[in-house]
Amino acid sequence: MSKEEVRLFIGPQHPGITGNMSIELLLKGDTITWAKTHIGYLHRAFEKLMERRIFIKSFPLVCRICVPEPDTNEENFARGLEELAGIEIPERAKWIRTLVLELSRLQMLIMWYGGIAGSMGLSTPVQWGIGDRDYILDLFEELTGARIYHIYIMPGGVRKDLPDGFEEKVLRAMDMIEKKLPEYDEIIMENAVVQKRLKGLAKIPKGWVEEMGITGPVARACGFPFDVRKDSPYEAYDQLDFDVITEEGCDVWSMLLVRRREIDLSIKLIRQIIDKMPKGEFLTRLPNVLYWKIPSGETYVKSESTRGEFGYYMVTDGSDKPRRVHVKGPSFIHGITLAERLLVGQNIADVAPILVALQICPPEMER
Amino acid sequence: MELVERLKKKFEVIGFKKQRKDLFIVETTKKDLIPMLFYLKEYEGFRTLTLISYVDWIEEGKFQLSYILWNSRTKDNIIVEFRLDREKPDFETIYRMWPQAEAYEREIHEMFGVNFEGNPTQHEELILEDWDDIPPMRRDFDTLKYSMERFGERESKSGINIRKEISEQYDEWRRK
Amino acid sequence: MDKDKYFLNEKPGKLTYSGVFKRIDDWTRARSLWVVAYGTGCGAIEIRPTFTSRFDAERLGMRMAGTPRQADVIIISGYLTVKTLKRVIRVYEQMQSPKYVVALGACPINGGMYYDSYNAINKLDLYLPVDVWVTGCMPRPEAILAGFKRLQELIDSGRADGWKKYIENLDWYRENQKKIIKNWRMPNYNW
Repeated sequence: MSKEEVRLFIGPQHPGITGNMSIELLLKGDTITWAKTHIGYLHRAFEKLMERRIFIKSFPLVCRICVPEPDTNEENFARGLEELAGIEIPERAKWIRTLVLELSRLQMLIMWYGGIAGSMGLSTPVQWGIGDRDYILDLFEELTGARIYHIYIMPGGVRKDLPDGFEEKVLRAMDMIEKKLPEYDEIIMENAVVQKRLKGLAKIPKGWVEEMGITGPVARACGFPFDVRKDSPYEAYDQLDFDVITEEGCDVWSMLLVRRREIDLSIKLIRQIIDKMPKGEFLTRLPNVLYWKIPSGETYVKSESTRGEFGYYMVTDGSDKPRRVHVKGPSFIHGITLAERLLVGQNIADVAPILVALQICPPEMER
Repeated sequence: MELVERLKKKFEVIGFKKQRKDLFIVETTKKDLIPMLFYLKEYEGFRTLTLISYVDWIEEGKFQLSYILWNSRTKDNIIVEFRLDREKPDFETIYRMWPQAEAYEREIHEMFGVNFEGNPTQHEELILEDWDDIPPMRRDFDTLKYSMERFGERESKSGINIRKEISEQYDEWRRK
Repeated sequence: MDKDKYFLNEKPGKLTYSGVFKRIDDWTRARSLWVVAYGTGCGAIEIRPTFTSRFDAERLGMRMAGTPRQADVIIISGYLTVKTLKRVIRVYEQMQSPKYVVALGACPINGGMYYDSYNAINKLDLYLPVDVWVTGCMPRPEAILAGFKRLQELIDSGRADGWKKYIENLDWYRENQKKIIKNWRMPNYNW
């Protein structure tokens, strides 16, 4: 650090940071010359606690690993246990899970869409985004009884069947959201300030994507069609008809475009799922979950969250508790390895949009 | 030729398993691990490092380090793992092959006490702050005892510790 | 650097007025609560709906404040890890008196589901004076609003005096805090 440079901490208490984390910057004028991410403010030792709990008692824990999008965690953990224990789940359960995952993705994306505008000082879409997200949270409340932490997906299927008339309510909510999206576009996408600021901001070199393990919308904004839903389909995604969305710009504007188009994709997928939903059982009979022992084995299950590839590395040893569960959140790479390199050379005012565009979710970095 | 045959020709393969149609698990030795990772990256197309994980096999006195790689063309995952001596957990860094390994190794060093030789930042704190006990993710670290001693426990008004009672009752009921 | 220029190490004096002026003070304070924008835990996800258009806490005179210097309330949204506790104490001590603490969920009461975690504290009231506890995991926006309603009642009737207790029993709080924060690299207090 030379005398011309200023050391500045953004976070943990800062309105522009994406959660309880902190970024340490060295500034020369208002250009960043060095960046370092500090995490650990939300470390609750989930992985250690899971080693002490029987399998079914871990479900309330896993959904708290990423707060805005908890269903990805539940689904991953349940699917890993099913794979290790050799349980087949009914067809309807797969479709209901896919519906829940897509609804959860959509609510996160809508909130994000408002959030990136908020990071540039446009506070109207923030209010809209959080308000419109409540249409989906109300659906979740009817389905599972809770707004945020659902604990709805469990090994063997899902906890309850869809209530009567739920499909129509989902479709009505989709219509409602779709009707509002042009207003968002008008205020965000067609805004000259947003275009001027985001186009060409924080260009990611294409070589970094595979080498660093960048996944999800950030990789797709660089032109790499990486989507776990397509690459190794889980649940009912292999029976759905959709294309992977890519953009070529590598910058924050392309990440915004990818996610904007994913909102449309999610709505389309939800309509397809409702259309194709089969009838039948929603839960297989499990052995008594209090005595449930899973034979020894190891596996890595993954799924596509809004932020990228979410993975669970699970090792069992034949007892009634897991030997090891390691959660791979996409933000670990995006928030530490990528952000530290990407922020160098940027303007201090652009830190908030870049962090929001990478969609860094601190609790999944430190678990 | 299958992947396992090609690997067996070049390296010592202790165990091989095809867990799913797109997930292979290979167990190798400490000596062969980094050459195998290099071979998989440069010749087999497993260009992405997804995760470095670790398991504590305390009964055998071993640590297990698992490296999960991903091939973007064939869309396959491979887990390469090996066992490390628990008494002297020294290994080498791979952060020159994959930059994200630096942060993963830093976490493992903090949570597990494995020493990655050559990693420039592994001694910096990543998650914990001012930690002075044994690395917390090791299985011989008792987190409940630590929590009770450090953070205390709330007594209820009647003097009965409800949480403890319930968990004891539950354990008794399970034992039956 | 001359530290004394920035940090005032003496304790603040007592309020010198009472009676009708204090009554007016309490009445107005209860109707203008600014909350410091610090999502310390998972409950932060429900704070955003509470403060935006649907549940609209602004009609009750509450809004977010970017810096602790302008805020009256800090929300401890769920569990607190040791690393965050250090920052929360710092934020709390930077806030101007009178100041209030609202704790959400079961985790600050007795650790909740993290009762055996080595990094999450079990009893928040050992380290900070809590005025209102809101139950639920996580508390719905309605519950948070109800909690704030209760806080307003307490302030209005002059009973929300956690900050006074903190000043009076600072040594006790400090002792507890230093027990779990090992390297205390902070000013002792900057009022």
